Amino acid sequence: MVKYLAKRIFYLVLTLFIVTTITFFLMKLMPGTPLTNQAKLSPTEQQLILQQYGLDKPVWQQYLSYLANAVHGNFGTSFQFSDQPVSYLISSRIGPSLLLGFQAMVIGVLLGIVLGAFGAIRKNTWVDTTTTIISILGISIPSFVLAILLQYFFGLKLRAFPIAGWSGFMYTILPTIALAAMPLAESARFVRTEMVDVLNSDYIELARAKGLGKLGIIYHHALRNSLIPLITIIGPLAVNIMTGSLVVENIFAIPGIGEQFVNSITTNDYPTIMGLTIVYCFMLCVVLLITDIVYGLVDPRIRITGKRD
Amino acid sequence: MKLSSVVKLSTVGLSSALLLAACGNSSQESKSKTIQWQESANLPTLDVSKATDHVSAETLSNSNEGLLISAKDSKVAPGVAESYKVSKDGKTYTFNLRHSKWSNGKPVTAKDFVYGWQRSVAPKTASQYSYLFDHVKNATEISKNKAPVSSLGVKADGDYKLVVTLSKPQSYFKYLVTMTPFFPQSESAVKKFGSAYGTNSSNMIYNGPFKVTGWTGTNDSWTLTRNKEYWNNKATKIDGVKFNVQKTPSTALNEYQAGKLDAIKLVGAQQVGQYKNSKEFYNAKQASTFYLELNQQKDPAFRNVNIRKALSLAINRQQFTKNTLGDGSLPAVGYVSPGLASRNGKDFTKDAYVKSGVDYNMAEAKKLWAKGLKEVGKKGLNISLLADDTAAGKNTTEYLQTQFEQLPGLKVTNQNLPFKSRLSRSQNGQFDIVATGWNGDFPDPITFLTLFTSDNSYNNGKWKNAEYDKFVNNAEGQDANNTDKRWNDMVQAEKTLMNDQGIIPIYHQAQPYAINTRVQGVQFYPTGSGLDFRNASVK
Repeated sequence: MVKYLAKRIFYLVLTLFIVTTITFFLMKLMPGTPLTNQAKLSPTEQQLILQQYGLDKPVWQQYLSYLANAVHGNFGTSFQFSDQPVSYLISSRIGPSLLLGFQAMVIGVLLGIVLGAFGAIRKNTWVDTTTTIISILGISIPSFVLAILLQYFFGLKLRAFPIAGWSGFMYTILPTIALAAMPLAESARFVRTEMVDVLNSDYIELARAKGLGKLGIIYHHALRNSLIPLITIIGPLAVNIMTGSLVVENIFAIPGIGEQFVNSITTNDYPTIMGLTIVYCFMLCVVLLITDIVYGLVDPRIRITGKRD
Repeated sequence: MKLSSVVKLSTVGLSSALLLAACGNSSQESKSKTIQWQESANLPTLDVSKATDHVSAETLSNSNEGLLISAKDSKVAPGVAESYKVSKDGKTYTFNLRHSKWSNGKPVTAKDFVYGWQRSVAPKTASQYSYLFDHVKNATEISKNKAPVSSLGVKADGDYKLVVTLSKPQSYFKYLVTMTPFFPQSESAVKKFGSAYGTNSSNMIYNGPFKVTGWTGTNDSWTLTRNKEYWNNKATKIDGVKFNVQKTPSTALNEYQAGKLDAIKLVGAQQVGQYKNSKEFYNAKQASTFYLELNQQKDPAFRNVNIRKALSLAINRQQFTKNTLGDGSLPAVGYVSPGLASRNGKDFTKDAYVKSGVDYNMAEAKKLWAKGLKEVGKKGLNISLLADDTAAGKNTTEYLQTQFEQLPGLKVTNQNLPFKSRLSRSQNGQFDIVATGWNGDFPDPITFLTLFTSDNSYNNGKWKNAEYDKFVNNAEGQDANNTDKRWNDMVQAEKTLMNDQGIIPIYHQAQPYAINTRVQGVQFYPTGSGLDFRNASVK
């Protein structure tokens, strides 16, 4: 286990290093400087400004010092916000994003399990058809379209929820639903398929033969076994939520890092783009690592150390 | 892990998340005397020396105040300076300051102006607006590190008299002192906050009608709160203005319709169309012109005046702004934007109007095109049209492509790039025709006209005209202190540019707003500060 963890953490660091390197050099290929009035500044002033951002040095030196600083959590100074360290920008805005992501994940997956289970139990009835339709809609409607519709109907027309902004729990509901749709649909589909399989298996027959109640069978035997494979899709779902949040945060004006990411791209704020890419990459790697570990813990058939019996 | 523990864990997790969220501040602010205003971008800084964008300008010009302030009809009104005197040679300005206070109760003195200006010009501050000081004595030398900051031509004579020495007369200097880099700065505040100066609303002091509160440096809303120390506080009629960043236009519109916002920027033809005939509609004029530059260095054919004129005559500006853009923009009447400057009540653009420069006449265009092609010995041209990748940029290239391709033998390829890429290509001469825009810094035509002198770094098409250079140089030099002569120089310069079709103006951008009728008296300016809440009131 320790060996496996060490290996995974090594890969995590390696991935971060590669992503940082590629992003760094891609950014260098793009035009853009912190100078906003370049043509009107004296060469001395231009030089001084570049110096403040460390851009007067050769690219390889910039790269090395960027790496050294990034290890210490220092991602440089934003071009867009003067004198504002990127690490502060990120740390002050990551809270809302994490909260939304977490809520969407939990609600999406839990409801997805319930829907999927109902669909499987009432296979080929209207219940099944309804849950299938819901999951197809959830997968095919992009989160931003859902976000705009939710905002229009529940925010503007019904006035049931705030239209946008971030000051309290009520403000999190619509964006959470918009983000939860995808994980809900995915997990519902997944659980349904798995559970239909499981319900046809011998040990369910055996349980029935033993005289266990219907609910008991579903809860203790069928559902539990259908959930194990669900863990594998948690990683990809987390990615979905992260990318979805880029647009959803913008639509609901949530002061999170997704909104900041989009903003830094449109304003060519390279240090912020870099910093956020690294943070996103890190979060993703961690989610994948955790799901792999949990998978091994939950399902004894999977041995993370790779030894065969 | 048992299923029940999964459920328990998730329940605990979920409820704690909900609880955390509920802890946020959900108290509704009293909306009665606070205006809820939409901003479409974040506030980057409160450091007056470093602000260059419109969001900072809109906030700072209401929270801080310079010697003079912008007023209606391209005029200026007294700010911290009660009065001022200009010497006969136009080189010395003496400002008499009123007794006013900073938000921390300390007096605003002439020394604060001297310090603030020196800080804006000092190269180590890295102010990107330092060029605005170029007429102030020694400013250019200081920005090149060739003279000490203390040699800047601004001196305090006692606490309440400020003497400014210019290296040459500058009739529009009065407009410059209304802009943020010319605001006073308290040396003790700058030293106290150090590198955190202006990075959040507490690390700044204010001398304007409002103080900024609630800005953490990165968040999406901040408030202009009435400043009780302001010298004219009794004239302020509102409690404050809350700026809310809404980057998605549809969200902003929803919030406006729900009454959560009092004013929003309308974006695109659909939103403008919805409000165009309403009492809530306000189309704020901007000192902004979008035009085409033809790269004479890359394509020698563009050195031919008939070819340039043919392209200009092929554009139906009325139709384009009304039907294609539909976002409140106005058809170009010349290069300098209308409503920017006037003399004896007559707008500059009326004095300098050249019909052929902005007219639409396809038949004439085809004639001149054929003539021009013959003169340069070509059968046709293949050109690319470079523009921004914004909605307006794409509309522009698509429209122009259809119009231009009606000229026989002209093939147009469109190229829409992100702003900075587009800009770097324009500056490096990597284009045939580029659609670009200019926003004037202050309400004087010279803010536009200097761009197309032969050696100006913004003259990307490299159009050269000795007459034009002469008129602009006279306006900036020998006639600088003679209002009438200077005005005529500028009129002649604009006429020369249009008669020779040095550039092809297309439209003047405007900023359409929807403003709740309960809000009155907000003043919009085409340049500089942009917004003024000094006389705003709410019903």
